[in-house]
Amino acid sequence: MLLLLACSSGGGTSGGGASSTDVTVWTAWGGDELKAFKDVLAPFQSSTGIKVHLTTNRDSTNQLANGIAAGTDLPDIAPGPTDPIQVKSWVSKGALKSIETALGSDAFKAYVDNTYPALTTAPGGASDDPYIGIIGGKHYVLMVKTQVKGLFWYNKKVFTGTAPKSFDELLAMNPSQYGAQKIFCAGFESGAASGWPASDQIDNIIMRQSGDQVYINWIQGKQKFTSAEIKLGYQTFLKEVSAANVYGGSNTALSTNFGKAGDPMFNTPPGCLFLEQATFIANFFHQNKGVTAGTDFDFFAHPSMGNSQYDGNVNGFYDNFAMYNDTPAARKLMQYMATKDAQQIWANDGGTLGAIKSLTYSDPIFKRAADIANSAKNLLVTAGDFMPSDMQKAFWQSLLNVTRDPGSLDKELAHLDQVQAAAYASS
Amino acid sequence: MGIDQVVAAVVAVVGVPLVLLGYIIVGEQVIERLPESVQGWIRPYFWALPAVGFATIFMVYPLLRTVVISFRNSADTDWIGLANYKYFFTFPDTLTSLRNSLLWLVFYTFFAVFLGLVIAILLDRVRYESLAKIAIFLPVPISAVAASIIWKFMFDYQPPGTPQTGTLNALIGLIGRDPVAWLVNSTTNNAALIFVGIWTAVGFCMVIISASLKAISSEVLEAARIDGANEFEIVRLVVTPLLWPTITVVGTTMLINALKTFDIVYVMTNGAYDTDVIATQMFSQLQHAHYGRAAAVGVVLFVAIVPLLIVNIRRFQQQEEQR
Repeated sequence: MLLLLACSSGGGTSGGGASSTDVTVWTAWGGDELKAFKDVLAPFQSSTGIKVHLTTNRDSTNQLANGIAAGTDLPDIAPGPTDPIQVKSWVSKGALKSIETALGSDAFKAYVDNTYPALTTAPGGASDDPYIGIIGGKHYVLMVKTQVKGLFWYNKKVFTGTAPKSFDELLAMNPSQYGAQKIFCAGFESGAASGWPASDQIDNIIMRQSGDQVYINWIQGKQKFTSAEIKLGYQTFLKEVSAANVYGGSNTALSTNFGKAGDPMFNTPPGCLFLEQATFIANFFHQNKGVTAGTDFDFFAHPSMGNSQYDGNVNGFYDNFAMYNDTPAARKLMQYMATKDAQQIWANDGGTLGAIKSLTYSDPIFKRAADIANSAKNLLVTAGDFMPSDMQKAFWQSLLNVTRDPGSLDKELAHLDQVQAAAYASS
Repeated sequence: MGIDQVVAAVVAVVGVPLVLLGYIIVGEQVIERLPESVQGWIRPYFWALPAVGFATIFMVYPLLRTVVISFRNSADTDWIGLANYKYFFTFPDTLTSLRNSLLWLVFYTFFAVFLGLVIAILLDRVRYESLAKIAIFLPVPISAVAASIIWKFMFDYQPPGTPQTGTLNALIGLIGRDPVAWLVNSTTNNAALIFVGIWTAVGFCMVIISASLKAISSEVLEAARIDGANEFEIVRLVVTPLLWPTITVVGTTMLINALKTFDIVYVMTNGAYDTDVIATQMFSQLQHAHYGRAAAVGVVLFVAIVPLLIVNIRRFQQQEEQR
């Protein structure tokens, strides 16, 4: 094992040594996601004879950071960092090998052409966009999967109307017309990460209301929470979770786990019309209520916030791989994962979108989600995930606090400014 | 990597004791050749050295290092004076955690010890004592994480008018009251968390106090009864004073537990809705890579615990002397 690591980090100088027949890969996936990844790897291993040593590591970013700092062995391939500061520092230390190198120029061009543009192209052609792993014009993460957030899910047997064109139209809906109690269901509880589902909702508001530049500045700590734009975002969010609009009132939204939040849509009488959540929630509906995507439930895209120039901003997240050791085997695997054949296996196993535009989906939900990703002008990341972690925690908890007590909004925003000043100063 | 870990485990489990054994055997052979007077002087130090060495490496050094880090910036590149301490004693979030730790100190300690004492005394007088003690003691071996998850179910909240799956809300529903969001509501959440802590600690207090209660000679109680004391007076004037050394030890242990409280808060609320305590605050600072601030919190916690440790150790010494 030691010999193997030594060879693989040696960069294939031994020519036909272990590095061209073995590749070590870390992933955070388990369960169905891990199974899907193994399905993706199977044809690669049998056709190339390269053995993939796969480890599930849920703490990979920290361990990679330690490994890079200490100069110890790294896996050949593992997820890239999400923290923009980390992306820059790992690139400058040479720990991340560029995707251009890994794929070679033809395959790289094909990858960029085939993948959702928002995942591979910085807005306005900027040479740095650490949120999608672009530094100095070069790409350092290979996008393999993606999900779309900010979708409004509904029970097809209950909501028979047409999708609202604007957010105001959505808020003006009369749930009793469809026999439901309230417009929205919500569930913000998620153990130690409670509050993230609420943050998705406000992210989707702000990026469409005040635009991608404000949104990105806000993630980067350059836009204060007390600024008019962010405050307006909070106020709009509070309309969505007001006692008048949310099923069971704020206590229910705060006490309900995100995975069960949509269940009242399928009760008789239905508790609510809509749940705002990402593509992955379809699996929860199926597990909790035995309902089928497409026939029992469906979704519509986030309605416009009344600012048509920002309607093309879509909130998504992605899974990626980065290459940490430039070996022949690692290159081959990176090249393989960028192909349509590989990503089609992910799409076939279900539960996710691939990163390539032209995949086919048997599931009608993912087919439509793919259309949304495809038509997105900017596929914007989730704000909290890219803020310093103390900022993220304070941001998430502020959403819980204002949901509980809308009167505390100004106090909360002032406090967030305080955290922001401290968090970004030290990072 | 799997093989490396196996090798490391084998080295640790077999190798370390072997090395220690070798140290003692070889060392003893050397010492035996020394003059008699030197032998008696050097032997205790020689035998204590490995233990002292381990304690230095694994306890004293980290302690000193923590103190040093608490005066440095988060990247550990520069001295920043008392900034980390200033942050701890002025930032609103950390002040909330200080307030909550104080609530834990007072209520958790008082109720755990008081209930432990009352239950021990009451159970001393019933025939089904051991059965009842087992019931009270059962939560003690449950890990705090498991206890927290159990109580999360107990505190569960469903919208008013729907079936309440949480036991507490189901009960208050029986008397026609609306459900309470125990962990969300600021007036109930700290109390709810402290209650879980008490639930896991009462059994421990009861067992220790009960053991010391059994040591009180029945003749003393008999004498008090003959002198005309009623049962309340016996408990108040005879039993409690005799139990006082034990109560002090149990009490200081509970105080230390209260200061160290982490798992219950982390699992049930992660500090949301103003429930943070000092230890969860320290953990979040670590998580956010503010090592200096985390170290400062650790030092404050340590300084707060030291007096309690001293009291505890003195008590133990006194008890040793009495024996």
